[in-house]
Amino acid sequence: MMQNGEQIADTLRLLISSSQSATYVEARYQSRVTSEVNFINGEVERIRVVENTGCGIRVLVDGCWGFTSTTNFSSENLKESLNEAISAARVIAETKKNRVKGLVESKILRGVFRTASNSDNLSDISIEQKIQVTREAEKEARSNRLIKTASCTYRDTVDHKVIINSDGADIKIYDSKPEFSVTAIARKASNSATAHEGIGITGGWNDLFKKKNHLEYARTASTRAAKLLEARHVDGRKTKVILDPAMVGLLSHEAIGHTVEADFVLSGSVAKDKIGTKVASDIVTLVDSGRSEIADNAGGTIIVDDEGVAAERIAIIEKGVLKSFLHNRESAMIFGTSSTGNARAFNYNDEPLIRMRNTYIEPGLDKLDEMVKETKHGYLIKGARNGQADANGEFMFGAEEVYFIENGEVKELLRGASISGNAFEVLKSVDMVGNEFQYDIGTGYCGKYQPAKVDGGGPHIRCEAIIGGLQH
Amino acid sequence: MLDLLRSGIKQAESLGANDVEVYAAVSKESEVFIENNDIKQAKSQITGSIGVRVIVDGSIGFYSTNDLSKARVREAVVMSIRLAKASPKDKHNILPGKSKPKAIHGIYDRNAESFQTSDAARMAAEMLKSATSYDNRVSVDSGNFSAQVVTHALANSNGIELKEKASVFSWSIMGMAIENTEISSFDYQVGSSHSIKDINVNNTASEFAETVVKSLHTRKLEENFKGEMLLTPMAANEMIEEVLGHSINSDAVQKKSSHFAGKIGKQVASDLLTVEDDATNVEGINASSFDREGVSHRRNIVIENGILKKFLYNTYTAKKEGTRSTGNAGGSTSSPPTVSTTNFIIKPMRSSLDTLVAEIEKGVIISRFSGNVNPVNGDFSGVVKGGQMVTNGTVEHAIKEVMVAGNVFEALRRLNGISRERKVIYDSILPYMRFDGISFTTG
Repeated sequence: MMQNGEQIADTLRLLISSSQSATYVEARYQSRVTSEVNFINGEVERIRVVENTGCGIRVLVDGCWGFTSTTNFSSENLKESLNEAISAARVIAETKKNRVKGLVESKILRGVFRTASNSDNLSDISIEQKIQVTREAEKEARSNRLIKTASCTYRDTVDHKVIINSDGADIKIYDSKPEFSVTAIARKASNSATAHEGIGITGGWNDLFKKKNHLEYARTASTRAAKLLEARHVDGRKTKVILDPAMVGLLSHEAIGHTVEADFVLSGSVAKDKIGTKVASDIVTLVDSGRSEIADNAGGTIIVDDEGVAAERIAIIEKGVLKSFLHNRESAMIFGTSSTGNARAFNYNDEPLIRMRNTYIEPGLDKLDEMVKETKHGYLIKGARNGQADANGEFMFGAEEVYFIENGEVKELLRGASISGNAFEVLKSVDMVGNEFQYDIGTGYCGKYQPAKVDGGGPHIRCEAIIGGLQH
Repeated sequence: MLDLLRSGIKQAESLGANDVEVYAAVSKESEVFIENNDIKQAKSQITGSIGVRVIVDGSIGFYSTNDLSKARVREAVVMSIRLAKASPKDKHNILPGKSKPKAIHGIYDRNAESFQTSDAARMAAEMLKSATSYDNRVSVDSGNFSAQVVTHALANSNGIELKEKASVFSWSIMGMAIENTEISSFDYQVGSSHSIKDINVNNTASEFAETVVKSLHTRKLEENFKGEMLLTPMAANEMIEEVLGHSINSDAVQKKSSHFAGKIGKQVASDLLTVEDDATNVEGINASSFDREGVSHRRNIVIENGILKKFLYNTYTAKKEGTRSTGNAGGSTSSPPTVSTTNFIIKPMRSSLDTLVAEIEKGVIISRFSGNVNPVNGDFSGVVKGGQMVTNGTVEHAIKEVMVAGNVFEALRRLNGISRERKVIYDSILPYMRFDGISFTTG
């Protein structure tokens, strides 16, 4: 089934050119191999290799979408699958109220794309080496005597895609996205504290451990968990906070990014009527890009989207003003604008949806120590955890570490807490934007009916938000 | 399909594997998506995949592929043996012996075979119409209706050969209510059934519509307070179930990340709480006769009247403790077996939901909880979604920007009400649950 790329491209080209009855046909071949190694407390939790190869076929017939997938790439079978997708589209013609008006004209790409310069070298790394690194790091995390449980996971996804569509896309993509993370749980009597440290990128093996080696990730996680064990909880309140790049990434993705996804906007998100209006402080420029802007190896890098459109930088908010939503070709047509290259499918048997890529706030001029120095009373928030955002802009996410700031000095470490507020109000309150940029949510997946590998980041920013701690 | 599994086993044995397991799942699925108050797309596909687990000198290798050709399965066997040779040994790695699971009735509806994509489209349209006609302020962001017939087959070198078919219909609806410039909290409701006659998209749609409309006209809390918290089944699923599910998992216990470790026979919650894990309950979508490694499913009472009775095991974790698997090997074809809950069930009590509300002096009804829950230590903190303020037994108004924080284990000791009404949330069957002494903070 791991077909030769050129051979499969030829078959798909033939399939697309033979289809007459659909307005639009798209065939996406994807061969994916995922390797995963996970050690917990000195034992193998899981070592596995999973391959998933198939072809997804999506059609637009009389303004209705149909989708099917297959793992048999013979011309006859593909033809049959295409017909099945067409029947599926016809099925909803009876109940669909508003037909798809069309897909906006876009700059459709052709050619071969590699998401990172050395993105294919992961296949050369033996499973033995992946096992060794994971095993060593997990052991290292437990070398701190307070750490009672440690876990280390290495995972990589290597994709080869071929995308051919009836609007001229003819694309081959080579992508590799490795990730590595360590979790340490410190415990003393019934008191416990958890810390995570990890990285997820687009690139190869060497890129993954460029910043820190595997043992340093382990030591960072275990030291932090041990420190958090002794920390007090935060009291809940609205206050000045300095968010670290991971938290800025999460804020950009969860709290703003989702509200500007065009499908979400059409259903009435809070950003609906806000294009051209002031939604953030002047010093905030918030971007989503399929390329790895500013810093290398961002985890959500795609170069070209699954509709064949260049996945370029798009400023969602520029100097505080909401400039653009995130589009695929269908939504761009409705809004009378261009596709922003945000159509993404996770697996061959998933249909492309409007998804983010690398979402971040651009760096500003402030140095972190000055930001702290100018804070009389507040908190430095580090270590983004999972979060959620609502249609009305309310968001909430977890922070692993919270440092109390008093009279311009970083003081006591406090237990992790949740941060919440209204996304746009928080962005309006931004009064300082740091000058050092970092991507830092690359180990995460975004879920919207299907997963997507995304990244986000920024500099440190200072703003106002609600810290929710435990009240005893 | 069993032939393919047998040939994989034979081949692995000939290549030196001591034990072999091959698990396959093939699914025929029709799904229709809703987006922005309209039908969006129809999807119809057949997917299949296979997972090969081998044990070579005490080491496990696992390889999975979605290509079910004989040649590819052979390749998967070769690869899994290579992976086993690269993996560390663990003397607890064994496969279960032969058993005879009792067939479960009610998980397969023969008529599901002829359920078409057009039927799924009709159901999706009906759900959408039902929600939007409830009130013109209701806006459906997204939803789906899916019909699936799945065949599971499992064979191992100890002589297990099992095959079972199940039909699963599931649907979901998500969105908000919009009135002028006010947008309500998001709500999300789901439904599922094994048979066509039990499909009820209208109930799900009206519950969703009612919740979002009730979430309009919010007010902020006047002050922070400590009071009662009434969780809907969906909120209980979000806040309580993950923590309990983690704590009763033998794997978490053995890894020292379960708060319940060493507490068998002890009171871990208010005596109102009885929790069971039951894959033989056909109301839950995970009902089936055997688990991910071929062990018979059964009903396991985990917590009874607040007392911790047992943990859930698969063959590996059971071997470690010298006990027997409870039939809780979980996971898909793409991963070696884990330990997981099947259908997670909290026993209903006599009180009605209305009574539970009427008894609240000062508290909040939480439709959904959006926040973080730490399954290890039980700490939770997050935002109340679709919250209603209750004073002296009366629902007063919807609330906004309210944070709730506490600890699940402490809360379970303060559990002071469980409703007789329950909801099925895919593989969970949960009542409304009321707790006291919970902190609410206004933003």
